[in-house]
Amino acid sequence: MDYVLIGEILAGLMFFGVIGMLMLGFPVAFSLAGTSLIFGAIGYYFEVFDFSNLASLAGRYIGFMTNEVLVAVPLFVFMGVMLERSKIAEELLLTMGKLFGNVRGGLGISVILVGALLAASTGVVGATVVTMGLISLPAMLRAGYDPKLASGVICASGTLGQIIPPSTVLIFMADMLAGINSQVQMSKGNFAPTPVSVGDLFAGAFIPGMLLVLLYLGWMVFKAIFDPKSCPATPFSTEEKKGILKEVITAMVPPLLLIIAVLGSILGGIATPTEAASVGAVGATVLAALRWRLSLRVLREAAISTATITSMIFIILFGASVFSIVFRQMGGDNLVHEFLSGLPGGAMGAMIVVMLIMFVLGFILDTFEIIFIVIPITAPVLLMLGLDPIWLGVMVGVNLQTSFLTPPFGFSLFYLRSVAPNSISTGMIYKGVIPFVCLQILAIALLFIFPELATWLPKILY
Amino acid sequence: MLTILAAIMRSINALNKVVGKTFAWLSLAVVLVCFAVVVERYLFSTTRLWMQDLYVWLNGVMFTAVAGFALFREDHVRVDIFYRPASPTKKAIADLVGVCLFLFPFMFAIYYIGLPYVQRSWRLMENSANVGGMPGLYVLKTFILVFVALVALQGLAMAIRSILVLAKREDLVPKDFSYPTIAQATGKE
Repeated sequence: MDYVLIGEILAGLMFFGVIGMLMLGFPVAFSLAGTSLIFGAIGYYFEVFDFSNLASLAGRYIGFMTNEVLVAVPLFVFMGVMLERSKIAEELLLTMGKLFGNVRGGLGISVILVGALLAASTGVVGATVVTMGLISLPAMLRAGYDPKLASGVICASGTLGQIIPPSTVLIFMADMLAGINSQVQMSKGNFAPTPVSVGDLFAGAFIPGMLLVLLYLGWMVFKAIFDPKSCPATPFSTEEKKGILKEVITAMVPPLLLIIAVLGSILGGIATPTEAASVGAVGATVLAALRWRLSLRVLREAAISTATITSMIFIILFGASVFSIVFRQMGGDNLVHEFLSGLPGGAMGAMIVVMLIMFVLGFILDTFEIIFIVIPITAPVLLMLGLDPIWLGVMVGVNLQTSFLTPPFGFSLFYLRSVAPNSISTGMIYKGVIPFVCLQILAIALLFIFPELATWLPKILY
Repeated sequence: MLTILAAIMRSINALNKVVGKTFAWLSLAVVLVCFAVVVERYLFSTTRLWMQDLYVWLNGVMFTAVAGFALFREDHVRVDIFYRPASPTKKAIADLVGVCLFLFPFMFAIYYIGLPYVQRSWRLMENSANVGGMPGLYVLKTFILVFVALVALQGLAMAIRSILVLAKREDLVPKDFSYPTIAQATGKE
């Protein structure tokens, strides 16, 4: 048999082999690299892989360790962890709940808004769902909400952090798409391609993110009008009425200003995402200090959480690099190229297939693994076929977010399950989230038909 | 014999705890240095190039040095559809297989590739590629090997834990490193 064919078969087997091996439950970063090395060894036996190809790993790793753009990740994580550990996030949620609580559907609306605002703190799926599940779910149940609606709105809002800037997922995606896009444009003979920056992708994701928030809000309003029993109001007590203004000013306004300032300076092109993130991190720390919450313990906890979360993400990147080197060397990229460009429907057909693959992978893998594995092997082909890198990035984000919401495997649902009281059955969570999955699909369809939703804002901003 | 292994495991855990908790503070340093650069640039319109390297490098040092500690703390994500509900025995087997088949070969590969790369950097006394940047790029590069050592050691500690669990000597595994009970694994986070 010829080597090209053997290599491509091995590369194809490797893709599924990796996913199978991950099921063992060993930490993903190491399983990815280890399985790839095993397939590399098999490839070596069949003379389709040479271990000297791995030498470029060292340079890649130093590349990650000296990457200025990616430093935005620990900075945003620090900001989010600080807001959470100093209980600022919790107070924001409670105050919003009180403020909107006396209208029908108000608690649900506050959950959606806080989910959108706290997007910064949650590149890692779960944190927001757990926080809101612990605080808002009991509050909503006490207020007499339909448990299905309550759990649906929490699961959905918790995933908004994937797509609403400053999402850490978008930072990595922008960094990867930037490199891939410039290579693709070069090979097409365009030697001065417009670069893709984190700011571009943030701007691109902004309108789709807001669209999702509006769709969620619209659904809450719809429920409040046509199914008032599902989301009753909790009238203010007289004491609460007196205190609310002060609470709004102290608990809501400062974090809101901080988030708007950080996001605004990125979208306005005043600061780079990394710079803005450092201001956000310092700002969150100052807010904590102003509330006398900045103990050494809080600071230490924030430092440790930030360091371990960041490490976890970057080490997955280390592991995924081994995968992409072995995969490419054995001819996997040719395989992907042939497969994707041979599909009916051209670029759009290829896009739909990649989206479906990512959607299914979302049932078993977390965001970072998926984008670190799938983007490097599919994006070159998709961009070569003429797709817009920003649109691609945003579509991937919304798609994965939808996957995390979809029963029965969505991550978000598991996280809520782990903090929900036993009175809420898993079936209720599944049923509650279905309307939101439909809204997600609507959003994806809109993005598909009107790519301008993603590409318009970056164009006029930069 | 098992007690000796347990002692090795505890020493590794202690090492990674100290290293991890110390280097975790670099996250605060990254925040402060980067903020200082921003303040200098936007308020004083000046900039020191070495500081622009510094916070980036500090991040690199941080996430490599903390990786072993993160492994100790179970912060590295697993695909836990089957792992989470599994019995401690099955978890022990999965971890033992994972360490031997995935973690050790991966660490060996990085060591094998990284060593000449780092040695070359030391020979050249390499500095930042940016003009006016930080000296001592070789120190940063060395952290690739530090990463390998700390993670490989923590992998060894995991393997020892698996052996102890399989040998029915879970009593030798300290609480902060033992497998969560079924109730903890399926119940509250």
